[in-house]
Amino acid sequence: MAKIERSQKLFLKALKEKFQGQDVESETAEFYKFNGVRQSPRKMEFMKASRAVEMDRGVSMYDPERCHLGGIPMGQRQLMTYEVSNTGVFVEGDDLHFVNNAAMQQMWDDIRRTVIVGMDLAHQTLQKRLGKEVTPETINEYLHILNHAMPGGAVVQEHMVETHPGLVDDCYVKVFTGDQELADDLEPQFVLDVEKLFPAKQAEALSAAVGKSLWQAIHIPTTVSRTCDGGTTSRWSAMQIGMSFIAAYRMCAGEAAVADLSYAAKHAGVIQMASHLPARRARGPNEPGGIMFGVFSDIIQANRKYPNDPAKASLEVVGAGTMLFDQIWLGSYMSGGVGFTQYATAAYTDNILDEFTYYGMDYAKDKYKVDWKNPSPGDKVKPTQEIVNDLATEVTLNAMEQYEQYPTMMEDHFGGSQRAGVIAAASGLTTSITTGNSNAGLNAWYLSMLLHKDGWSRLGFFGYDLQDQCGSANSLSMVSDRGLMGELRGPNYPNYAMNVGHQGEYAAIVGSSHYGRGDAFCYSPLVKVCFADPSLKFDFAEPRREFAKGAIREFMPAGERSLIIPAR
Amino acid sequence: MAYKPQYGPGTSIVAENRRKQMNPGQKLEKVRSVTDEDIVLILGHRAPGSAYPSAHPPLAEQQEPDCPMRKIVKPTEGAQAGDRVRYIQFADSMFNAPSQPYQRTYTEMYRFRGIDPGTLSGRQIVECRERDLEKYSKELIETEMFDPALVGIRGATVHGHSLRLAEDGMMFDMLQRNVLGEDGIVKYVKNQIGEPLDRAVAVGKPMDQKWLKAHTTIYHSLVGTAYRDDTEYVEYVQRIHSLRTKYGFMPKEE
Repeated sequence: MAKIERSQKLFLKALKEKFQGQDVESETAEFYKFNGVRQSPRKMEFMKASRAVEMDRGVSMYDPERCHLGGIPMGQRQLMTYEVSNTGVFVEGDDLHFVNNAAMQQMWDDIRRTVIVGMDLAHQTLQKRLGKEVTPETINEYLHILNHAMPGGAVVQEHMVETHPGLVDDCYVKVFTGDQELADDLEPQFVLDVEKLFPAKQAEALSAAVGKSLWQAIHIPTTVSRTCDGGTTSRWSAMQIGMSFIAAYRMCAGEAAVADLSYAAKHAGVIQMASHLPARRARGPNEPGGIMFGVFSDIIQANRKYPNDPAKASLEVVGAGTMLFDQIWLGSYMSGGVGFTQYATAAYTDNILDEFTYYGMDYAKDKYKVDWKNPSPGDKVKPTQEIVNDLATEVTLNAMEQYEQYPTMMEDHFGGSQRAGVIAAASGLTTSITTGNSNAGLNAWYLSMLLHKDGWSRLGFFGYDLQDQCGSANSLSMVSDRGLMGELRGPNYPNYAMNVGHQGEYAAIVGSSHYGRGDAFCYSPLVKVCFADPSLKFDFAEPRREFAKGAIREFMPAGERSLIIPAR
Repeated sequence: MAYKPQYGPGTSIVAENRRKQMNPGQKLEKVRSVTDEDIVLILGHRAPGSAYPSAHPPLAEQQEPDCPMRKIVKPTEGAQAGDRVRYIQFADSMFNAPSQPYQRTYTEMYRFRGIDPGTLSGRQIVECRERDLEKYSKELIETEMFDPALVGIRGATVHGHSLRLAEDGMMFDMLQRNVLGEDGIVKYVKNQIGEPLDRAVAVGKPMDQKWLKAHTTIYHSLVGTAYRDDTEYVEYVQRIHSLRTKYGFMPKEE
C-alpha cells in the first residue's frame, strides 16, 4: 500500500451544497438552533398533509413535535439534503424512502412482474406433436394475440370480463434470439434486437450465448403483481400464453397437447428472476430475497450503456441493489419502518462511494497498470492474497482518511454502518475490477471490515459482528454449505440473510468483476437482454438518475388507478 | 507455560493506550471524583438511597441446585443479592475520545466480572447486576477512560459520535443531557435516558487536546495518530484476515 495523489474530490460539491456557508473541513459546527423539523420543507409538507388527513378521518397522525422524545423534535442539528450521486440532483432524505419515491417502487415492480419464457418447447410441440407449421408469420400473429391477452384481453372464450387497457398499459411481451435472421423476420415492435441494443462486442457474445433459441420477455401488469405477489407472474403469464397459442394456432382448447404448452410456460421453459425462499423467510418466486447477485448484476444495464466505465456501471448496481435489498427487502419485507433507508442511501448519495471507488481505479492503474477504462480480461491481475490485501488496505485507509480530513463527510455518513458499507464496497469493487474475480472482491470487503473495525474501534450495528467478522473464512471457499461463487450467492445466502448495508454492495462486487473484464453478462445472457428493453417503465441503465427523478416527483410509474377512482 | 495476553499489536501511542486500558494489571489513572450518589443519579435506575430492586431472592436464601459450575464460579456481589440487571451506555466522539466502543468492550471483559457488553458504532452498552454496575460505572467515569466533553452517557438517542463538535467543544447530544457551565465544568442536567435531574451533577472539566491526543484509543489522521503510520497494526490485521481466509479451505496439517 502506498497513498497516491488524487486531487479530484467528487464529494466536495455535494458537501459544499449541503453545508452552505460553512467550512467543510472544520471540526466544529453550530447546533440546537435550527428550529427542529421546521427547517425542512418536506417535513413541513408532511405536517400540513397530516392535518388534512386528521380532519378527514378523525384520527391523529404525523405529529413530530409532540411525539419525538416528548417534545424535542429531530432537527437539533442541520437536516441535510442529499445529492443522488452522479446526477447533480439534490433531494431531501425523505424523498428517498421508497414509499415517497415512485421510481423506486417501479424498479422493483418491473423486476417482480417479469419472467422469461422459452418458445422452443412450445414450437416443438406444435410442429412435432400436432404437425402445425411455425413460421415468422405465425409467430407474429401469436405475439399480436399475446399482447392482447397478456394485459387481460380475452381470447377463445365468449362473454368474458377483461381489464381496462389504461390500467395495464405497462404490460406487454417482446421476444429475442441470437439468430439475427429470425429476428429480422419478426415484426420490429415485438423484437428486442440484440445487435441494436448492445455495443458490438457485447452483442456478439450475447447472440452466441442465446443461440438460435427464441425467448419471450414478459412483463405482466404492475397492478397484478402488486395486488398478488411475485409468484403470480409466471402463473398469469402462463395462462395467457396458453390461451394465445390456442387462438393463434387454432388448437382445440381441451386437447392434451395444451398440457405440454402449459407445462412449458409454467415450468420447463420459465426463467424466474428469483427463486422461492425457505419456510422461515417464506416468499414465492420473483421476490427480492431470491435474486442471485449474478442475476441482479445482469438486470442492471449500466455496463451496456457505459461499457468503458466499469466503476460507474458497478456504482449503479450499488444504488439499485441497496435500494432493493436494503430498503425494500430487508427494510420492509423482513423488517419494517423507516430506519433502513439511510443505510442504503449512504451508498448512492453525495458521490462519496464514487470518490472512494475511483481512487481505487487510479491506484490499480498506477500500481498494477490495469487500464480500467478499456475493460478486458487481458490485463486483469492474478488475485493472490497479497494483491487482494494490498488493494483492500489502500482503498480502506484512503477512505478512512477522507472521512477524517472532511468532518462534514463524517457527519454526512453519521452511522458506522453507513461508513462500513461504503468503505468495504469501494475495496471490493476495486479488487473485483482489478482482478476480474468476484470472490476476490468479496474477500477484499472482509479485510476492509477488519481494518476499519480495528482502526476506529467500531464498525456497524450488532449485525456487522456476524458476517463481517467471519466473512474472511467463507469468501473464497467453495466448500458446500460454507461458500459459493459470488454470482450464485444472494440475499438468502446463509450469513447474508439478515444484514442491512451489504447485499446491494455484494451484488455490485459480483457484477464489477465482469464489467472489469468487459463481459457482456455476469450470469444470464437472457436476463441481460430482457432488461435492455427501452419500453420498460424504469430505465435499468440509469437507476440512480431514475431515483432522482422519483425524488423530485418527475417519474411516471405504472399501475395507477386514477381511471377507476373518484377524481381528486 | 501459562498464556500471557498481549492485548493487541501496534507501535503507536494509540496501540499503547489500548493495551493499557485492557490490561487489568495496569491501574487506570484516576482523573476526577464523582460521588456514589451522583453516579446513581446519572444512571437513573433507582433513587439514591433507595433499596436495590431485586430480580430474585438472595442466593443464600434460595435453594441452589447441586451444580459444579456454581461451585467454581463465585457470584458477584450483585448476583449474590439478586439485583436486577441494568446498564450504562456510552457514546464516544471520534475526535480523540479516550475510549471507543470495541475498546470499551475488550477492556470491560478483562477488568470486570458478570457483564454483558454490546458494541455498536455510536454507542457501547454494558449490562450487569445493579450494584456491580454502580461500582463499574464509577471506574469508567472517574478514570482516564472518560472525558466530560467527548464521552456521553446516553441510554437512548445517542447520536453524536461522528458529528463535528459544538463550538464549545462538546459532542453533540440532541437531548443536551450534559452542558458546559460558565465555570468550565460539565454538568449532567438529565440522566442517561434523558429525564431531567432535580440537581445538576458535575463530572469535571473537559480534558485538553494535548491530553486527549496522548490518551485516546482511536486512530485519526486529522486530530491524532494516523492509522497508516502504525504499520505493525495494519500488517497484523492483514495477517489475521489472510489466515482466516486460508482456514476457510480447512487445510490439513502435513
